[in-house]
Parts: sequence; structure tokens; C-alpha cells
Amino acid sequence: MNPEHLLTCLLLVPLMGTFIIGLSPEKSARAIAIALGIVMVIVTAMIGSHFNAASLGMQLVEKVTWITSPFPVEYHVGIDGLSFCLVALTTIVTLMAILASNTIGDNRPRLYYSMVMLLTTSILGVFISLDLLQFFILWELELIPMYFLIAIWGGPRRDYAAMKFLIYTFLGGIFMLASLLYLYFQTGQVGAMQQPTFDMLQLAQTSPGLPAQVQLLGCIGFMLAFLIKLPSFPLHTWLPDAHVEAPTPISMILAGLLLKMGSYGLVRICMGFFPDFIAQFGVFIMALGAFNVVWAAIACLVQDDMKRIIAYSSVSHMGFVLMGIASLSAAALSGAIFQMVSHGIISALLFFLVGCVYERCHTRKLSEIGGGLAKQMPFLFYFWMLAALANLGLPALSGFVAEATVFYGSFTSPLATLSQHPDFVKGCLIFACTGVILTAGYMLWLLKRLFYGPEQPKWAGHLTDARPMEIFVASVLAIGTIWLGVYPMALTKNYAGIADKMAADTAAHLTKSLGSNPSDSDM
Amino acid sequence: MLENSGVLFSTAPMIVLAPFLVGAIIILFARFNKTLSMALSVGAVTYGFFHSLLLLNALRQEPHLGPWQTNIDWFVSSSFKLSMGVLVDNLAAVMLIVVCTVSLLVQIYTHGYMREDPGYSRFYAYLSLFTGSMLGLVVSTNLFEMYFFWELVGVCSYFLIGFWWFKPTAAAACLKAFVINRIGDFGFLVGILMFLGATSGFWQGHSILTFVDPQSSFDLTNAIKWAAEHGTLTTASLSVIAIIMFMGPMAKSAQAPLHVWLPDAMEGPTPISALIHAATMVAAGVYLVARAYPIWLTVDGSTQSVALAVVAWVGGFTAFMAATIALSQNDIKRALAWSTVSQLGYMFVGLGVGAYASGMFHLFNHAFFKAMLFLCSGAVIHGLHGEQDMRQMGGLFKKMPITAWCFLIGTISISGVPGFSGFFSKDAIIDKAMHFNIGPLAGLIGPLMLFTAFLTAFYMFRMFFMTFTGEYRGKAHPHESPLAMTAPLMVLAVPSILSGYLGVNPQALLGALSGHAQALPDVFTAFLHQSFLYMGAEPEFEVPNLLGMGISTVVAFSGIALAFMVYTRGLGINTWVKQTLPQVYQFSLNKWYFDELYMGVLQKIILPVYTAVWTLVDKVLIDGVVDGTSIATVGTGEVLKYTENGRGQSYAMVIFACVAGLALIFYFFPRG
Repeated sequence: MNPEHLLTCLLLVPLMGTFIIGLSPEKSARAIAIALGIVMVIVTAMIGSHFNAASLGMQLVEKVTWITSPFPVEYHVGIDGLSFCLVALTTIVTLMAILASNTIGDNRPRLYYSMVMLLTTSILGVFISLDLLQFFILWELELIPMYFLIAIWGGPRRDYAAMKFLIYTFLGGIFMLASLLYLYFQTGQVGAMQQPTFDMLQLAQTSPGLPAQVQLLGCIGFMLAFLIKLPSFPLHTWLPDAHVEAPTPISMILAGLLLKMGSYGLVRICMGFFPDFIAQFGVFIMALGAFNVVWAAIACLVQDDMKRIIAYSSVSHMGFVLMGIASLSAAALSGAIFQMVSHGIISALLFFLVGCVYERCHTRKLSEIGGGLAKQMPFLFYFWMLAALANLGLPALSGFVAEATVFYGSFTSPLATLSQHPDFVKGCLIFACTGVILTAGYMLWLLKRLFYGPEQPKWAGHLTDARPMEIFVASVLAIGTIWLGVYPMALTKNYAGIADKMAADTAAHLTKSLGSNPSDSDM
Repeated sequence: MLENSGVLFSTAPMIVLAPFLVGAIIILFARFNKTLSMALSVGAVTYGFFHSLLLLNALRQEPHLGPWQTNIDWFVSSSFKLSMGVLVDNLAAVMLIVVCTVSLLVQIYTHGYMREDPGYSRFYAYLSLFTGSMLGLVVSTNLFEMYFFWELVGVCSYFLIGFWWFKPTAAAACLKAFVINRIGDFGFLVGILMFLGATSGFWQGHSILTFVDPQSSFDLTNAIKWAAEHGTLTTASLSVIAIIMFMGPMAKSAQAPLHVWLPDAMEGPTPISALIHAATMVAAGVYLVARAYPIWLTVDGSTQSVALAVVAWVGGFTAFMAATIALSQNDIKRALAWSTVSQLGYMFVGLGVGAYASGMFHLFNHAFFKAMLFLCSGAVIHGLHGEQDMRQMGGLFKKMPITAWCFLIGTISISGVPGFSGFFSKDAIIDKAMHFNIGPLAGLIGPLMLFTAFLTAFYMFRMFFMTFTGEYRGKAHPHESPLAMTAPLMVLAVPSILSGYLGVNPQALLGALSGHAQALPDVFTAFLHQSFLYMGAEPEFEVPNLLGMGISTVVAFSGIALAFMVYTRGLGINTWVKQTLPQVYQFSLNKWYFDELYMGVLQKIILPVYTAVWTLVDKVLIDGVVDGTSIATVGTGEVLKYTENGRGQSYAMVIFACVAGLALIFYFFPRG
């Protein structure tokens, strides 16, 4: 096959799957979904074999123009190292989520798996789109399956959670659309390029040259949309509700993949298109990231619902992405990208394990579980331990790589040395460092309240340990986090050049803005 | 010889990798076979032991071979490069020997101690993983790598303290240990970041934070020199960095106020207490300070720094505090744990007053005799079927003679009786502490250490007398342990007596005794100094201070004598203190109320405040706004829906109302 069609192929598998499963008998829905999941992984592997990690540019690009007037509508896909890592993450986590759906999917399986496929189409599409309009459409497409997946298969408060998710995300979408249109018309006025465009490659070239005011207006809508998706304080309260109500496999996708759409957008669009904005407001973004890390960790400490703890810990960990982006350091940006993949694996594993315990105990309340589960679930205990340690950033597991490089990179970054408030930035970082204490506190306390202590009489005898399928899913994700933690270069080599270049380009805007108007000190 | 040593060094990474590999194999494949698990685990550390001995020997014979190191890139970006590697120099070689020896003997002992336990194989897997992590820490080439393994040994400690997860006390203890260590790691991390921030311009693509590198000169000493020249680092700011970074060693090596986890860590099986919480991991803090000593010095490499004074005072205070607590503890393992805290304090005093060789020497000696003491206590507990309260012991000398003799040797050694290993290193530290002169109260630290030595002798012999002499007070049937347990004790007894002679030159000692005092090099200091060459080409050997030794001896013997009087001859000082000074007794028994203070702050202040703030911000404010918008939306919709309900009457009604309203307006406000 011509390698240029590989990405289209990848996108078509889940899209066709949506319809195939929708039309197939209820009994075979799960089998087809698993088969399609495996096909997606295979196609990703083929993409990987054609992918050149050393190249900085877009690869496997495919572009079809549909209409050009009154505005251009195109199908345009391609990947670079950043997208490739996320695409690989998506296909693996999706397959794991499909495998983990064996109980929840028994309820109307045809609709369920078809919605999962549509969701996957949307996520993959966001990561490989090179046309902004197409990016936006696929971004918004995710709302429909996600809403139904929560509202139909969710917990007791599913209506509230699904609506809250919908409103938050839709609000972000509106802001993004406004900025997108604004950007489109503004690019038409740049001298070098008369024709306004949605082409993300062209925009990455031209929009950094736009005046700072234009960049501000252009970026703010995207920024809001991505911050909601990330999510970041104070736009984060949809996440705990959505997670608590969503069924286990959907939580895996939600935390593992959907949040990465936000962080991906931040890097690809906010940083790639609007370096002046990032350079100008880097201090605020850094402070916001640091605050996220600590605030969400504090929130974790006071929860009684184990799923809510994992949900808030996602907010905490995505704060590192914000910090890595704001710092303008190559190492920290590299760490931020690493965090996307690492958190994708770890949070999927954690939500899966939460689901395993919930399925057996029928409660997520730690006070009701009361500890001592290790007696009957030794295997799950080991996986839990590994996942918890990965989440608290233990070395040799992937979470540590991201945290360490974001901290090391940010502390020596242009923002912490050249900007006008270096001490404030360093203060934010040290504040974020307290997260290492809080994270250890809530994760291990969670572990203690679940597994340690004497066996509770109410659980004696009727809890089972992990089944083979569960061991398989947990092992795949666990191997992922160990592998990346021991040898992070396996991942970073794919995008190190991109991170270096983006950080350097953005940092150049910071030094330029400092050099041109040193009196402008309101930053 | 040179060619051989080339292979010897280039295969050094195997020392670290072998236990990791074995740990993984046991977890994945061998956990169902007890003998295989044990054989693999013991095999890996035996290999490490002999390889380390060969390395030590090579470095002894050809000092130019060290420091030898190899690195691989672990993370590369245009900002900096992080590396993982293996560094073999004299300091590391000494630590390798300590870790491998104790680990090997503890693993043999474990076979006897844990053979009935259903978690036997799991225990060996953890032991192997710990040994690998600890060896990795020892051979780290840079601060980043040390932090990496620093956390790994911490998590192994967490696993092993919580090994019996069904015990609520163990569950609480492992959580406490990890979180307190994380508080220390926070300081360690911030210290590294601040140091890196000050020296980031220096490394230029070389792997950052390298400890030593005589070839390329991209190491800590030169980084500090560079930063001082470029104005990014002053002696004051370097001291601030060092003091913040010292939080790491404070937690890991259980120094006040982060010491509270170590006594609770005794909830783990006893072999672990000997290996991790007495001999090796808790010494990692001391090792870090010694390894990264330039950070604790002034920018021009002098020991007259505030940071070192802080190290000395933290160590001194902890040594004293822990000794006062050990006086009243009744749990045999906890009393030993407090003595460990106290002895670690001595090591920090040694490093803090500039006597790095003495501090490391005490670490070296202490590792052997304290591991032995813990293993003896394990044998006692084993023989008494789980009894740990010394009030239920007594008279065990006849029942378990080997254990009793070994315990006695360890007790004598730690008490500082001349001729045994603890005497030499502890006396050297006290001697240097007497000359400490930084800060206003510098003169106090020496006498404080001397007084602590008196307390040490007293509480250690209190333990010995309570456990082994007199009449048996318990109800169990004490018996001596199997050979797998007693053999490691007997092996450890040898260094507990003899290792002290490495740190003293017999000729100098004899010379001083015969009136010809002279400074002669001793084996340990001369060897170790090869890793501290930035302090000067030659170490300062001192003339044996006979007066100081004499005082130390008198102090030790008076402590022993007092313990003898109180615990075998019924001199009622202990009951007198209990009755007339109950506050003092309770203060010691309750460990200076640190736990109560911390738990009170956590449960009465931190968690309630967190709960309140979180509820206010996330639930009330943010969700209030979110839900408020939806209520507003629904409300608006409720009102507006009446505008388009499709009923003719309604529309007619609205039209009528509008016309009537307009008519009224025109009626009341006529035009013109």
C-alpha cells in the first residue's frame, strides 16, 4: 500500500467501524470492535515503520481539496513525532478500553461499541488533522459519542454529569470557533499571503508573525477551549463528575485520550501559532500550571470516592503540561509531551483498576470498602501498587520522567532566567514541588484504605482476584509505564527535535519582546 | 593486571543489574519455588560481594584506576543531558562492600527467619530489588541518578515495612515512612533545582550534576568554582542550597525533625530492619553528604560553612534526643531503632565538623555491629515466638548463648569500649567535635556528644541486661535459632570487633602510649581520601589524642557500670525517675511527643482546612457558577416558552395587552 494513504486508512477504520457495528447483530458487536481495535494497532505499527523519527516536518501527508470558494474546505492529514506518539497512545488505549468493556458493553452492545468507534475517529482525527476547519469539526464530533456514552451507560447521576460535560466542552468549542474565524480573516491581511487559509502548516509559518494584539485575540479562544479540555482550574469541575459517572472503559478513554486533545492543542496551536502569546503570558500559565498541580492534589486528599481521587489527580498531572509549555525550555516541553503519553497510560491503568475494584465491591467509597482487600485480590493489589507508584512519580516508571524533566527544564528555562519575574517563576516551581509530597500522600493513603489492614468480614469469601483478561489489560499498560520509565529515549527520540525547535522559536519571541520594549514590564 | 582490571571495571554495572534482574525473575517466574528464589537472590548478591572486593583491591593496589565511570544518555534535549551510569571510586567501593556484605548475610539469615512465612519468595524479590537500588545509589555518577535510586530504595523500604500488610500498624508505618521521606525528597529536589539553576550555564552539553570527573572537569567542584566566578553562586547562597538539600538526608537518615518514621518502620520483618533501617538505606543520607561534599563546603572549598554547621547541629541534636528516648523504650527493636537514629546523628556530626573520614568510618563500623544487633534481636524474637517486649524477656543468656555473645559484642562495640570498632570511629568524631568552632554555641557540641556517649553505653547495656541476664520473665519456651540465622551473626561479630583497626594506625597508637606522639596515616582515611582530593592532596592525619580517648573510655565505662547497677543489682534509679519526675519519664517514653504534634497538626489543622477550602472553592464557588448558569438558562427558557406556545388565545391576549399598554401610555403621556 502506498504509505501516504496509511493515515486515511487509520482514520477510516473506526469511522467505518461505527457503521459496520451499527448494522451488525448485537452478539457480534464486541468481536468486531476488538478486531477493529487490533487493526488500528497494526496500522499504527505500519505507520511507525514508515515514520522517520529524525525528521522535523510532517510525514505521510495526504491532502484532498474539496472546494476553494467561498472558503477552502480540505481533507488534510499528516503526522510528526508529536502526533505519532499520541496516535500510538490512542490506538493502544482504545484497544485496552474495548477489551475492558466486557461487562458494561453487554447493555446494548451495538450502540455502545459503535459510539466508542466514533469517539476514536474523533480523537485520531484531532491528532492527525492539518486543516484547522477539519480539526475543529473532529474536535466537536467527540461531544456526541461522549455525551451518549455517559448518559446511557453512566452511573446514577449520569444526566447531570453528561450535561455538565456537554456545556463545558461546547462553551470551549464556541470560543475556539470564534478565534478560528478571527484567525482566518486576519491571515488574509498579512502581506506575504493574500489568500486566507485554514492550512495548519501555513498558519504555523505565518501566524507567529502576526502583531501581538492579533495573536492575543486569536489565541484566547483556543486557549480557553484547550484549558477546559485539559482541564485546568477553574474550568475543571466537569471532569470529576464526568469520571465518576462514566463507565470504566469510558473513563479510561476520557482520562487517557480526551484530555490529551487539550494538551495537544496547547502545543500544536497555542504554542505553534501564537508564540508571542505564550511568551507574553508565560508567567501566568506557569503559575496556573503550578496551582493546578497543588490544588488538585489537595482536592485528592479530601475525597472519599476513589474514582474522584484518580480524576482529580489527572487535573494535577496535566498541570505539568502547562508548566512545561510555559517555560519555553526544550527539556521541559519535552517533559510536557512525555507527560501526555505517560499520563495517558497511567490514568487509563488506574481507572481500569478502579473499575475492577468497583465491579467486585459495588462501591467506590473508601469508607465503605474499609481496606484489607489484598487478602482476596493479591494480583490486583500488585497492579494497583504499580499504578499508584507510577502516578506519584516513582523513578523507573514513566510519571517520573515527565515530572523530573519539567522541573529541571523549567528551573533553568528562559522563563525562569530571562523573563522579568524570574523569582516569581522559581517560586511557582518550588510551590509545584510540594506536589511530590501531596501526591505521595493521597496515592498511598488510597492504597492503604483499599488494600492494607485486616480483611473485612463483609468481603470475606465473595471477592475474586483478577481474571485473565484483566491481567492482560493491566499488564500491557503496566509494561508501557515501566518501559517508558526505564528507557524514556524510546519515546523522546520521536519528538526531541520538534520540542527543541518549538522551544527555541518561542523563546526567541520572548527575548525579542524583552529586547524591543524593555520598559513594558507589566507582564 | 591492568588488562584484568579493565574488564573488572567495565563489568561493574553487573553488580547493580544482577539483583534487579533476579528480582524481576523471582516476581515473574520463580515465585512459586522457594529454594530457587532464595538461591537466585543470594547468588546475585554473592556475585556483587566478590566483584566489589576485587574492585576494592584493584583500587587499593593501583589508585590511579579511580575514579572510573561509564555513562549512558537517559534523557537528551538541547537544554541539558541526563545520564545514568556507574562510578567506581574509593568512597563508592567502601560502600559497595558494606552494602554487599550486610545484604548477603541478611539474605542468608532470612532463610532461617522467614521460612515459615507464606511471602517467602516475595520477600526475596523485594530484598533483591532493594539491594539493586541501594547499589545503584552507591555507584551513581550524578545527583540526578542518585535522586532516582534514592526514591527507589525508599519505595523498597515502603514495600518491606508494609510486608505484613494485614497488620494495621504496619500499614500505617509504611505510609508514614514514605510520606516523611517524600518531605525530605521535596527538599532534595528543590536543592538540586536551585543548584542546577545556579550552574546551568556550566555544563554545556555534558551530563549535568556529575559528582566527579577528573578527565573533563565537568563536575560539582568545578561547577561551583565556575558559578562563583560568574556571580551566580556565593558562599551564602550555596549554603542555602545545601541546607535545603539536606532535607533529603534528614528524612532518609532519620534526623530530627524528620526522624519519626524510623522507629515505626520496625513493623517490618527483622531482617529488613537490619538491612535497610540500620545498615544501608538509612546511611544513604550520610553517603549523599559525603558524595556531594563540595555543595556543603564554601565556594572555595573550605569546611568553614554554615551548611556544615547545620549538618553538625542537626546530627548532634538528633544523637542526643534519640539517646534520651532510647533510655525508656521497652520494645527491643524500637530501642535499637532509636540507637540507630542516635548513631546516624554521630555520623552527621562527623561530616558537619569537617571530619568526613571519621563520619564515613563510623558508618562503616556501625553498619556491621548494628546489623548484627538487629539480627540478634530478630533471633530473640524468633526464639520467643514474636515477643518484642523486653519486660517479658530476661535470662536468655543460657537459652541462646550464640545470640547472647554476639549481642554482647555489638553492645560493647557501640558503647565505645576501647579495642572494639565503635570506639575508634566514635572517639574520632567526638575528638573533632571538641574542636568545632563555627557559630555561637560551637563549643557545646563536643561535650554534648560525649554525654550522648554516656547515654549510649547506659541504654545499650540496659537492653543487654534486660534481655539476657536475670530470670526469664516471659511465658514462651526460648530456644536458640538455626544455623542459617546464627552463622550470619557470628560472621558479623568479626568486623564488629576488628573493623575499627582500619581507621587507626597501630604504630601511632603505640607511639603515643610510649610518649612518642606522631601523626601517621591510617588505612581507612588514606584510602577514602582519594575521593576527596578537592579538599587537598593529602589528608590531615592527627596525633592520637590519649586524653580524649581516656575520657571517652571513662564515660563509656561509667555508663556500663550504671546500667549494671540499675538492671542487675537493683539500684532503683529508674523507678525513682519514674515516680518523682514523671514528666521527664513520660517525655522520653513518648518520644518527645513528635508523633502527637505531627498527627495533631495533620488531622486537626491540615486536613480540615483542605476540606473546607476545597468545598468552598470547587463545590460552592465554581460549581455554583456552573449550576447557576444552567438555572438561569432554564429560567429564561421557562419564561420565553410562553411567547411561542402556538395557542391563538395567548397570542390574542399578548396583542390585547400590548395595545392596552400602548393606549394607556398615550393616554397618560399625550403628544405635545
